[in-house]
Amino acid sequence: MKARQKRRSARQSSVDIDPITLEVFNHRLSAIAEEMGVALCRSAFSPNIKERRDFSCALFDAYGGLVAQAAHIPVHLGSTQLSVEAAIAERPMAPGDVVMLNDPYAGGTHLPDVTLVAPVYLSRERRPFGYVANRAHHADIGGGTPGSMPLATEILQEGLRIPPVRLVAAGRMNEDVLDLFLANTRVTDERRGDLLAQLAALRLGARRLVELSGLAGRRRVAAAMLALPAYTARLMTAALRRIRPGLYQAQDWMDDDGAGALSVPIRVAVRLANGRAVVDFHGTAPQVAGGINANFAVTTAAVLYVFQCLAGQSIPANAGLMKPIRILAPEGSLVNACFPSAVAGGNVETSQRIVDVLFKALARAAPEMVPAASCGSMNNFSIGGRDINRHRDFAYYETIAGGAGAGPTRAALSAVHTHMTNTLNTPIEALEASYPMRIVSYSIRRGSGGSGQHRGGDGVRREIELLAPAQATVLTERRRLAPFGVNGGQPGKRGLNQFFSGGKWRRVAGKVTLRVQIGDRIAVETPGGGGWGRRATPRRWDAET
Amino acid sequence: MRGPAIIGVDTGGTFTDIVAHVDGELRTHKLLSTPHNPALAVLQGLRELLPGSLPFGLTYSTTVATNALLERKGARVVLLTTAGFEDLIEIGRQNRPQLYALEPWRAEPLVPRNLRIGVCERMLYDGTVHVELKPSSIRKAVERVRRLRPDAVAVCFLHSYANPNHERRLGKAVARLGDLFCSLSHELVAEYREYERLSTTVINAYVGPVMSRHLNELSAGLDGRRFRVLQSNGGAISAAVAGREAVRTCLSGPAGGVSGAWRVAQALKLDRTITFDMGGTSTDVSILEGGPRYNSEWTIDDLPLKVPSIDMHTVGAGGGSIAFVDAGGVMKVGPQSAGADPGPACYGKGRLPTVTDANVVLGRLAASSFLGGRIALDRDRALRALRQLGKRLRLSPEAAAEGVVRIVNASMERAIRRVSVERGYDPREYALIAFGGAAGQHCCELATALDVPQVVVPLHPGLLSAWGAATADVQRDHVKTVRLVDPAFGTLRRILQPMQELARAEILAEGVRRDRLRIISTADVRYQGQAHEINVPCDSRYASAFHSAHKRLYGYADKARRIEVVNVRVLAQGRTARPRMTQAQAATAQTPAHHRVRSGGHWKSARIWPRSSLVVGRLLRGPALIVEFSATTFVPEGWRARMHPAGHLVLVRGN
Repeated sequence: MKARQKRRSARQSSVDIDPITLEVFNHRLSAIAEEMGVALCRSAFSPNIKERRDFSCALFDAYGGLVAQAAHIPVHLGSTQLSVEAAIAERPMAPGDVVMLNDPYAGGTHLPDVTLVAPVYLSRERRPFGYVANRAHHADIGGGTPGSMPLATEILQEGLRIPPVRLVAAGRMNEDVLDLFLANTRVTDERRGDLLAQLAALRLGARRLVELSGLAGRRRVAAAMLALPAYTARLMTAALRRIRPGLYQAQDWMDDDGAGALSVPIRVAVRLANGRAVVDFHGTAPQVAGGINANFAVTTAAVLYVFQCLAGQSIPANAGLMKPIRILAPEGSLVNACFPSAVAGGNVETSQRIVDVLFKALARAAPEMVPAASCGSMNNFSIGGRDINRHRDFAYYETIAGGAGAGPTRAALSAVHTHMTNTLNTPIEALEASYPMRIVSYSIRRGSGGSGQHRGGDGVRREIELLAPAQATVLTERRRLAPFGVNGGQPGKRGLNQFFSGGKWRRVAGKVTLRVQIGDRIAVETPGGGGWGRRATPRRWDAET
Repeated sequence: MRGPAIIGVDTGGTFTDIVAHVDGELRTHKLLSTPHNPALAVLQGLRELLPGSLPFGLTYSTTVATNALLERKGARVVLLTTAGFEDLIEIGRQNRPQLYALEPWRAEPLVPRNLRIGVCERMLYDGTVHVELKPSSIRKAVERVRRLRPDAVAVCFLHSYANPNHERRLGKAVARLGDLFCSLSHELVAEYREYERLSTTVINAYVGPVMSRHLNELSAGLDGRRFRVLQSNGGAISAAVAGREAVRTCLSGPAGGVSGAWRVAQALKLDRTITFDMGGTSTDVSILEGGPRYNSEWTIDDLPLKVPSIDMHTVGAGGGSIAFVDAGGVMKVGPQSAGADPGPACYGKGRLPTVTDANVVLGRLAASSFLGGRIALDRDRALRALRQLGKRLRLSPEAAAEGVVRIVNASMERAIRRVSVERGYDPREYALIAFGGAAGQHCCELATALDVPQVVVPLHPGLLSAWGAATADVQRDHVKTVRLVDPAFGTLRRILQPMQELARAEILAEGVRRDRLRIISTADVRYQGQAHEINVPCDSRYASAFHSAHKRLYGYADKARRIEVVNVRVLAQGRTARPRMTQAQAATAQTPAHHRVRSGGHWKSARIWPRSSLVVGRLLRGPALIVEFSATTFVPEGWRARMHPAGHLVLVRGN
């Protein structure tokens, strides 16, 4: 680690990048990540990538440090770097190689997120000049239930675990690996198409980086790739200095792990001093049997997200974000889980709670900035089975928005994805045309946001009718413990999952797998966000709205 | 014989531009807009430019609909939608526009909750009726509409693209309420993706009444003479239709510029060009490849608009963008803009350094000749602003100014690369057409960065949108979602036929001659299971056209895979009398003034040429400035400029 840093600083001094050239390269390098994103989105097969944009593309320096990222969802920020580091460590890459991985214990997040990494070589050079990578959420990666978000108790039940392996070697597809991968997933055709799209995006990114170094000079590009993270680190340090120094602690609980453990605590202590932050998760529960464990990559992403929000929108996303921040997460805990714990929900649920707990702690440091708890769940719904009308297997995954937590300046948004996700909904007219499902209603859960000087946003109610026998998994949070308000604001309403079968509705758990028959319905009601500030007088128009 | 005058009008926020082609002569006029009632400036301008009773054909590009939307000054709209989905307009796509905001925010829906009515009905994706729309439901809905006293009604039911029967029946019943603006989603966009269709329909109902009122006023001022309105697709349509389908004009401003640029490209026989329209606060880029390309995925103010519009990409940077040094010690340009008020420091009011100020300091804008001398530029003031900026980086004001220009060029380069990769093309194969107030100062350096060999600055670059309006074809487009797997072309032809006939009738009703009519049919195609379509010509070879387009765009094709035709589209164009753009008068010989420009860290001596003094065919070497009323073109060292016989300025790299 030390040696690498030394190497970096030695090279940085060789070419000086002035503050203008740096901004020019900021544009140029970000453009490459963006272009990869455009290419991936447009050639992908699954609605999950095209319609929901559950992917990201990024550019790395020769040592695997993140230089630029086009991320549509924050949970990929910061965690992709760990994938690239793992790929480099495990599988040194020759020209034309592409490494594939998803192992949460070797740089991945959860199994459906498949990351591809390729080196970028300049002509006549023997070592990679940099790396390009992308990560896409595949709608199925095998495992116990379709959609690969099962309520498992160890990772091997969650799907195919891929350590860093060469998918492409010296420009040739490694068909053995591809076949093994496809044989372990449910909708193989779609998987193949999405992988091809990921590969096409990598090729474009690599070509563009080579072109840029040809145009602007290899040394200058290399210097910019090191200077950009240093610049981001300066911005982050400056942002941290603006917050009142001190030690801030908070605690909150996960509802349950889906395997019997209730009220699983996440505790954090944030120490702010001299433009640096130490985020210490000691006191957080040990890893649990159910699949809500977060590995270190996910926890890192959640912490970075919080600090990026505090630093402001325009801060370039790269390895420098991490520089002034230190994360202490006890190994084997809920926020730094070890093999073989199950992690499908860590990425989507626990990551959201880590954000809320951090904000809760920081609410005392920066009450003029920090919002109340958001809906606190991505409200995951995955389903699969045999589509009897279209004569094919299907697997479908979606996340359902909730209410945002209110902040110091205005009432919060309703029906919106918050914090670690920003994926789009699948259009009803696209969904019904492709899968044996019908959406019965899709509405805002009025009054579910916590009241306060500023109201928390309202959650959503989405009711789905099944037109084929299937297996459905609902993986949700905040069904037991409500999203908190801050500064005297009231908590948001808890979510509620209901199942209509055999002629009547019944309430089901927050994390549950259901066997559904034709005509059965599942209704997911998502939580509202917490309110902000004490409400001065009761508002009479509440009755009306 | 004297034909009728051909007129194009473009109203923007600051200026109203008019070009008129009268008896082979090109007349131009630029006057201040009258934002409270844009018709006033148009009528005044026409009076000043043309004698009273001359017959003319006028095409009008207006921002009335766009502004009504942006300023939220539209109609009171009642929304009728499938029961259970009344909140769809508020849920949208459930995402937030800003990823890292502590308090994310998105625009309020155009229809508040108390004006949304759920109607008991349900269609399925294949057009079968799942829940029949009962007459009693219609009566109930109409009665509620009546009580809410709206100005307009929007109707959008799920899957109405597959079976519009319910929308139609409800629409008819609403129409019986009397004078009420009504838009039905399947009439505007018969395409799947409910939120985008709903949003388009609601926007249309929201801006339609405002637009209709405005067009009626203008029509009265023109003594009832018929005129056409420019749509976002670059084509014109009669004012009556434009009022009914006002949402189709929401992006017509920049579309006018791109169609004007396309006329220029045609005159110069350039098949592949990138348009570069850099104004005060933003820049639009677009790719022309044998004509403009269309795209129907748009948003204004985060509200989606699904109408085919000329494909372009907007960057939030222009001449007024403010430069600053951020907390990390790096220079940034934009997105804040000095706007029209206070404007760049050199306009005499503002103090913050902008891109325009940087150009003044570097000598790339001549202080004396800006807008024909109407606004005197204060170079000292610009210098002071840049000095302040430079101090923070320990740079001279000149070096800081060069930095501002480099950074803004890099953000333009990023935009153009993005647009070309979306289209699967390499910018090196293109020529750049530069227009808009600020483009001339940046176009050559940008071309160098993109490795583009040729730049064109059209005649009257500040009036190109009006020119685009004057030369617009009459145009209508229709789309229908079909979702067919490996269909025979015969099947598609049968679906296309009624659409083509409808479009043909509409164009002929505009008074276009039958032999001037052109109908283009295309299909949106994808591999089955894919989620994104590619638009290809819809003829018997549509499948192979798709495979090769996929290969070009994404690097691979898979002929063994089944393909799905998602939508079919019909575009009908009626060619109107099209004047040639020519230079009004012969060049007047003038000796160029001496001047200094800075580039690459050095001052160089340059000459200032009034554009009117350039003789056709004459070659100019950079560094030089070419100045005219609405633009200044900076020709850097290593570039040459030549006047084309049609009056356009052609710049090429190399000596």
